[in-house]
Amino acid sequence: MFKAVSNNPSAESKDIRWFYDQYAPMLLGYINGIVQDHQKSEDHLVAILTSFVKDVIILQEKCRINSWLELRQYAQSKLTLFTAKDYQLKPNPSLKTERLDLLDDLQKQIFCAIYYHGKSIPYLATAIGCDEIEIRNQLKLSIDKMRRKSGN
Amino acid sequence: MEINKIIKSGLMETYVMGIATEEEIQQVLSLKKEYPAFKEALELLEYDMEVLAQSMGIEPPAGTLSKIEHEINEIQRRNQALQTTFEPEYRHEKSNGESRQEKYIQVESESNQMRINKAWKWVFIAVFILGKVFLACAIYFYLENRQAQEQIKELKIELKQKIR
Repeated sequence: MFKAVSNNPSAESKDIRWFYDQYAPMLLGYINGIVQDHQKSEDHLVAILTSFVKDVIILQEKCRINSWLELRQYAQSKLTLFTAKDYQLKPNPSLKTERLDLLDDLQKQIFCAIYYHGKSIPYLATAIGCDEIEIRNQLKLSIDKMRRKSGN
Repeated sequence: MEINKIIKSGLMETYVMGIATEEEIQQVLSLKKEYPAFKEALELLEYDMEVLAQSMGIEPPAGTLSKIEHEINEIQRRNQALQTTFEPEYRHEKSNGESRQEKYIQVESESNQMRINKAWKWVFIAVFILGKVFLACAIYFYLENRQAQEQIKELKIELKQKIR
């Protein structure tokens, strides 16, 4: 059953707490990948989660899986100041995660540019200097590699 | 199987990464409806993306949740305050609806402004300039005429004096 926290005056803080526990660490990791500043990332986390709870209906249990994608795109739209600037095709060196280390340099470039900065396939094809099919293939390969790590 | 080919084509990855074109989004949505295998694969990919994000997550510092709760409570309090300000007025308006109709005369509200084509601007400017030119001419000829009449008057006096 769907339950809206923001539109329901009787929304209990436990719903917000559940949402926070579920998504705040993921969102902070994501914001930090874009903003590249820990303190600023925390400030953005508070602002984005507050406005997301206020603006968007929080879906529970049944639609739990889609909420992260929705929240990620929402965060990306709120951070256009960082994502719209001329993006250097060099992944942030502070992004040291086990999953990203599985990728080779090209895959890491493509994945980070799309995941954190929402760059399009035609943009990357031009910037890297290869065709769009290659970009798509590399993106799929990088996601497959990271998924295999989780056992899927 | 064609659907397996589509699943392996990278379309789903483009979709979950949020960079699919409008055409690709429509394709994904219709395939999701049509093929349970596609739907299942897409949901699994979405779940895996969430797991991936969890693995790249950073634990927020203590006190972040209370900041968010405080912000949300503030917003809710503000909204409630707005509602309570407007609600009594609304109720009052509703209950006194009929008596208000008697108190006030209904007036047809029509705008007293009109919209015209921008090209008229030049016509108005031309009329204004012509108006100024005519005004200057009128003043000039009035003064000229007055001076001429004075001269005639003087000449008449002179002539009269000569005749005598």
